[in-house]
Amino acid sequence: MRLNEHPVLRFERGREVTIYFEGQPIKAYEGETIATALHAAGIRVLNYSPNKKRPRGLFCAIGKCSSCLMVVNGIPNVRSCITLVEDGMRIERQHGRSRLPTKAKPPEFKDAKVVKADIIVIGGGPAGLMAAIHASRAGAKVVLIDENPRLGGQLVKQTHKFFGKREQFAGVRGVEIAKILEKELRKSENAEVFLETSAVGIFQEGEEKLVLAVRKERELIEFRGRAVIVATGAMERMIPFENNDLPGVYGAGAIQTLMNTYGVKPGDRVLIVGAGNVGLILAYQLIQAGVEVKAIVEAMPKVGGYFVHAAKVRRLGVPILTRHTILRAEGREKVERAVVAQLDENWMPITGTEKTFEVDVIALAVGLRPSIELLHQAGCQIKFVRELGGHVAVRDGWMETTVRGIFVAGDSAGIEEATTAMLEGKIAGIAAALRLGIADESWVEEIEKAQRDLDEFRSGPFGRRVAEGIRKALLGGVAGE
Amino acid sequence: MSKIAIIGGGIIGVATAYELAKLGEEVVLFEKNYFGSGSTFRCATGIRAQFTDEANIRLMKYSVERWERLEEELGADIGFNQTGYLFLATSEDEVEAFKANIKLQNKFGVPTRLIDMDEGKEIVPILNTEPFLAGAWNPKDAKANPFKTLFAYLRRARELGVDAREHTEVVGLEREGDTITAVKFRSKGKVERVKVDAVLNACNAWAPLINGMAGLKRDLVPIKAYKHQLVKTEPLERGQAEPLVCPPSWNDAYIIQDGEDGGIICGAGIEHEAKSLDDVEPTYDFLRGVLRYAVRIAPPLRYAHVVRQWAGYYAKTPDSNPAIGKLLDNFYIAAGFSGHGFMMAPAVAQAMAELISKGRSKVPLDWEWYDPYRFERGELRSSAFQIG
Repeated sequence: MRLNEHPVLRFERGREVTIYFEGQPIKAYEGETIATALHAAGIRVLNYSPNKKRPRGLFCAIGKCSSCLMVVNGIPNVRSCITLVEDGMRIERQHGRSRLPTKAKPPEFKDAKVVKADIIVIGGGPAGLMAAIHASRAGAKVVLIDENPRLGGQLVKQTHKFFGKREQFAGVRGVEIAKILEKELRKSENAEVFLETSAVGIFQEGEEKLVLAVRKERELIEFRGRAVIVATGAMERMIPFENNDLPGVYGAGAIQTLMNTYGVKPGDRVLIVGAGNVGLILAYQLIQAGVEVKAIVEAMPKVGGYFVHAAKVRRLGVPILTRHTILRAEGREKVERAVVAQLDENWMPITGTEKTFEVDVIALAVGLRPSIELLHQAGCQIKFVRELGGHVAVRDGWMETTVRGIFVAGDSAGIEEATTAMLEGKIAGIAAALRLGIADESWVEEIEKAQRDLDEFRSGPFGRRVAEGIRKALLGGVAGE
Repeated sequence: MSKIAIIGGGIIGVATAYELAKLGEEVVLFEKNYFGSGSTFRCATGIRAQFTDEANIRLMKYSVERWERLEEELGADIGFNQTGYLFLATSEDEVEAFKANIKLQNKFGVPTRLIDMDEGKEIVPILNTEPFLAGAWNPKDAKANPFKTLFAYLRRARELGVDAREHTEVVGLEREGDTITAVKFRSKGKVERVKVDAVLNACNAWAPLINGMAGLKRDLVPIKAYKHQLVKTEPLERGQAEPLVCPPSWNDAYIIQDGEDGGIICGAGIEHEAKSLDDVEPTYDFLRGVLRYAVRIAPPLRYAHVVRQWAGYYAKTPDSNPAIGKLLDNFYIAAGFSGHGFMMAPAVAQAMAELISKGRSKVPLDWEWYDPYRFERGELRSSAFQIG
């Protein structure tokens, strides 16, 4: 079901088109992804798993988890969550590992398109946008690529107003910040943007860095530059429980994508797992979209997120069950119920405390892990830092990794939040321009200012843990685990 | 019983350790990194008897027979699949050359036959038949999982008493006359010494370093490391390109479907002499080059996503045949496999173990052909046909 009324967001839909799901015509709008259009039509099972033939649906909705692979126009393994609908598209559920279409002509070879720039930014979220804006302001020619159809990363889903200082967009909704940053970047004559373009590898070729990318699954592009800024964000964590792969068990971000980016109602009744900021904000956003939130369960003895968010959710009548966990999801082919239980002091479920919620969506807001795949592939030194959410690239204070000319910023450098991602992006963008000898020394002050802002932002109780993690991730920093 | 040291924990060293233990010998096996880390775990998984000379055909026919019984013998799944090799000819001259090879292979009992492209298409449903005139098809050629195979050998070797040590680097050999008397090795920063009765150099690309430690000229057995790369697609349904499919005239390019997850592995003879023995950095020129061949062999591959690219070494001798035999009274070598170590391992390991333990072997291995001193004498063999 599509949303038309929303207290904060306006949904502008493209031209109406028809797609065919297993032969049946379905109405969709240009600009929607395949998975979104199918979800709006009530279709949740997107494929069946290779070995046990279990139904699978959406999970991350941003192209990272491959839970949504489908056969599109005869081609298997298409990420339906980031591939846009086209009129007449034929879409089939994928059954495990698939066959390639046997009727295919050898392609006509031509050399890949080459795009040259000083700095290549991978990822168009808050960190990547700020990196690109500041690198181009500092005089560098910048190209920014993102595999999603829109700029803004996860900002485009955030309907709440940000905290912090005014110059860090305090009081502005995330979705508005994305628009401001995009406008800023598009103003620059030094910057070019490529959307629906996936970076698949980073190679060193002499003095040049080559970022190999594929646009719309069809066109190979060589992005050639002298520095690369990796701002690839994060990926939603999964936790183990019975039937955690049932369609309807969605990452919190996927639910935000469905309802806030595309205006599609994720379901009617939701159980949220995790009472950190993401879980709390999600509850509020669901209520904004007219979805009932049955409860939030949290394994820890107290709520993890900001008090103001928790208070708002409680005022709206959503119970937050601390010391509770999810035991299992139930349902045929899709979520119909969720069973939760209380935990004892050894984190074991207490028999007899089970509660069943009649829900059609289970939202997992159990944390994120940095997306470091490209950094790892490029040979950057990687270190496990629990406080930053997992494996991260070792870097210096200017966000440069152990591979000269490769920088990192935002959640891919360690899980934090959009405000700090923007500051890190600014540092990385200016630092790359300085290292290439493009920016003049006066820009160092801008880096130092951003570093002070970061320190200040991290001085609170939430930031201290991150700051400890960053000390471990710094080049020559304290030992990790 | 004597104590035998094997240096090099790739498939040759590990399998030879197992074969020696089976013969009742006491074996200590040294690997400076982790087992399989050199070339074995980076290989393209292929096993074939389709060679173009008697020595390699006979050795590989015997090796395939050993492979056929290996799962039972080692008591483990090693992913062995007889899915064949299909070589494809692009010219009439090549068809004639195939016919001559097939005749030679048939003479030694290898059942290769010439097939037309209709049959080729049945065997490989995604094959592009248009550029090819005929194929040389041996359904008994095979593939196996290098990880499972090495670990199966290793587990049985340890059960039979082999002292197998990884992260243990050999740093010196003690020699009296033409006899190696002891091996010095470093483990956890400490140098230790063990007295030995025989030593096998199974270090492949690294073998010249060990020969140097034995007081021999490093280029006595001239082995050079060439970086060879592979790319692999996402998992796909099995049965689309099961055999190794190779048109040799297209720069030895080939595709083969992984026997476990169905991903399609693509290789080609685009090689780089390694800058150093830790240069395994993948390159874009290979990626671009190999995929151009792969989509001409099987056009539907244009719709598959590449998910991995990696590199390993072909440890090449000047004639691309390995050096197998005795270098000193009790110092042996089995190295320089030039890309064929994995497929040859069952036969070579048995032959080497029998040679060391008994002084002779019943394996049909032509010791003269593989003689490690042939390079010094300036005798080169016909170059072994070099594909996966």
